[in-house]
Amino acid sequence: MAEIRLEQVTKRFGDKVAVHDTSLTIADREFLVLLGPSGCGKTTLLRAIAGLGMADSGRITIGGRDVTYLPPGQRQISMVFQSYAIFPHMTVRDNIGFGLQMNKVDKAEISRRVGSAAELLHIEDLLDRRPSAMSGGQRQRVAVARALAMEAKVLLMDEPLSNLDALLRLEMRAELKRLLADVDATTVYVTHDQIEALSMGDRVAVMRDGEIQQCDAPNTVYESPSNRFVGSFIGNPPMNFLDGAILRSDDDVVVAVGHHEFSPASGVRPLIRDLSGNRVTLGIRAENMETLTAPGPDTVPVRVDVVEPLGAQNLLTVQVAGHRLKVSTHPTLRVAADDELHIRFPADQIRWIDPATDKVLHTR
Amino acid sequence: MRARTWRRHLVPYLLIAPAIVYLALFFAYPMYEGLVLAIYDDDALLPLRSEPTSDAAEVAEIPQGTGLQILDRQSRAMIDDGGGDLLTEQWFRVSGAGDTGAAVDGWVSEARIRVREEDAAGNPLAGTVRPRLGQSADPLTDVHAEPNDRSGVVGRLEQRAPVAITEVALLEVWFLVQPADDPGAAAGWAPSRYLQVFDDGESGRVHRGTAGEFTTAFIERMVDDRFFGPALRTTLLIMALLIPLQLVLALVMALVIHARIRFSSGFLYVFALPIGMSDLAVGILFFSIFTGNGLLNSILDGLGIIDGPFAFLTAETTNWIIFAIVLAELWRATSIVMVILVAGLQAIPDETLEAAELFGAGYWQRVRHIMLPLLRPSIQVALILRTILAFQVFAVVIALSGGDVVTVLANESFRQYVDLRNDNVASAYALFILLLSIASAVFYLRSVRAESEVRAS
Repeated sequence: MAEIRLEQVTKRFGDKVAVHDTSLTIADREFLVLLGPSGCGKTTLLRAIAGLGMADSGRITIGGRDVTYLPPGQRQISMVFQSYAIFPHMTVRDNIGFGLQMNKVDKAEISRRVGSAAELLHIEDLLDRRPSAMSGGQRQRVAVARALAMEAKVLLMDEPLSNLDALLRLEMRAELKRLLADVDATTVYVTHDQIEALSMGDRVAVMRDGEIQQCDAPNTVYESPSNRFVGSFIGNPPMNFLDGAILRSDDDVVVAVGHHEFSPASGVRPLIRDLSGNRVTLGIRAENMETLTAPGPDTVPVRVDVVEPLGAQNLLTVQVAGHRLKVSTHPTLRVAADDELHIRFPADQIRWIDPATDKVLHTR
Repeated sequence: MRARTWRRHLVPYLLIAPAIVYLALFFAYPMYEGLVLAIYDDDALLPLRSEPTSDAAEVAEIPQGTGLQILDRQSRAMIDDGGGDLLTEQWFRVSGAGDTGAAVDGWVSEARIRVREEDAAGNPLAGTVRPRLGQSADPLTDVHAEPNDRSGVVGRLEQRAPVAITEVALLEVWFLVQPADDPGAAAGWAPSRYLQVFDDGESGRVHRGTAGEFTTAFIERMVDDRFFGPALRTTLLIMALLIPLQLVLALVMALVIHARIRFSSGFLYVFALPIGMSDLAVGILFFSIFTGNGLLNSILDGLGIIDGPFAFLTAETTNWIIFAIVLAELWRATSIVMVILVAGLQAIPDETLEAAELFGAGYWQRVRHIMLPLLRPSIQVALILRTILAFQVFAVVIALSGGDVVTVLANESFRQYVDLRNDNVASAYALFILLLSIASAVFYLRSVRAESEVRAS
């Protein structure tokens, strides 16, 4: 059992709070991704788990053991560093076996584990070479093999793919996912790449300004973001946002955006009605809007500004009541700039956001 | 196309041209001159000529110091190739009535004329012919066509005859010489400036030559010098004591600074302070500590450990002097090694050390398995630098021993140059220090490279 539990962890660098009062529980053998823009504190949080830089306050336990004040070497963890941190003066074999050697594992066991780790990452024939003459991809494999050879209960990865070129990153992403599925370790993976996060994680924790905004399964994070930031940070293009005015009547509530009135799904209606102000923000993803060439029920007429053909889809930029929306359409839809289109917003795909708190209104 | 690539390749050479000129002028040329001074004796041989003029054919070359028999002498117009101890003669151009009554105008040696009248500047204007003493002496004096006693006689003068002096010529004496211990050797002429003459002009020796030759004489003199052995031994002893101590100490200092504990930048300043002091000042400082009424004796006396001042720096206590030298050098130059090692430690990425820590390496394991191997190039640089500087140790030794009791190679070079005025042997010492430095640098580079090649294969 290696459940990682963070309780109100705070880490400061001088006056700057890098991680603020964060609590998180990562289940045994879970693959958790920490996702966020640069400077959001995700690496600091990972390093706090690793013990490289003690938390200023709070408590960290791994498998029920309090490790808050333990040095990294005693936490029974292993890690892949962003720069790989391969030891340049050692052969690949010595690099992979370094942790085992430091932990006084016996020689036969070291060579068995080094062999199997190297085999997993297909670097058996590099074992006697030195890292100085290797490509970035090969070094990356050595770094992962070194981490896996420890057979630790907790595996930490700090943007392991960020130094690879795009094609190699794509390949390594799938390979890492396959590898880590077979490893019995609780994995914490830091990245700023949302595709990596969504494709690899069991759960994704989205961070911003030292706080976790949402921690859910990738689909949930994508489909029902907890707040405006998560919606805008995840997805390419980001979620569209429209400002609307709440029009309350005795038994109903509608939201007006320009000349168009939206009827919220029945579940959120009371929540919108209970909002203190008269404004609400409407969020919808580009691919969740229906594009029609002729007006229909509940459609909004729009003018097309830009058409960007992307192969699998066409990305349109359209104007609605002073807002610019990104709409993705099927590539067979023939459309050009300045054309008039009609867009329907399915009520169940609209997320309603309280502009005062930026939080998404959830039905539950 | 080809011209363009050529031009492109030329640019770097043009850029380094000033550096090459600089190296040639300030590095290669003095080195070359020093080398020449040590192994080339540029006045080893004196050429002898068939006639008493520097244009005449060479009949022989005889080495410096050869004993000579002088067969003849003659005066010749000065050759202007530098100074030396000249033997000169003045000749006067005289005019007067000859023995036959006819007017005579020609040249006579100063030995035959007594000057009677001079102008305000001291130039002779008139004189009389000196009488010759002795019964058999020729009463008449020859007057020559040229200021040279081999040239033709244009007339003769009676003794005490008054003459007008119209011109003065300064001549150098040439000697016809033959090596004294070899009567069969060829005789030849040489100017007086290269010879020493004894016994009223009967014999002499070659004082210096004009032609050079390569020689090991200076190096032999250096090796045979009674201070050479002690100087070499002391230099090597100081090195052997100093360098390992310095390396270990500098490593500890560098690790303290690299550990980024509180005040570590303060440590850096304190450790680096001695770099700013001149080595002579450090020598004098340590002299003031170890001298008879110095700090150390005061402290020991004050603590009651010794009864009176102990003389550390005497000829009977050379071990104490060497101890003081090593201590002074340790204090003075360890920080240079430290600075190099600190720079080397800072070049190790933080993540590398963190990775080692994370994979379970304790501090000493990180030092042993990560830091020391990655510091190897810095250690190599520090060792080369320190070894070369140790071969040159000088001012501290002078300050602590006066340069007599304990001597080192650089001090011997200095002594040869300043006290013994022998710049050739001084150069030989300098050359020897250079060779030792090069050899040590090559040794360090080779040993480290060999090791990395073994590891790579």
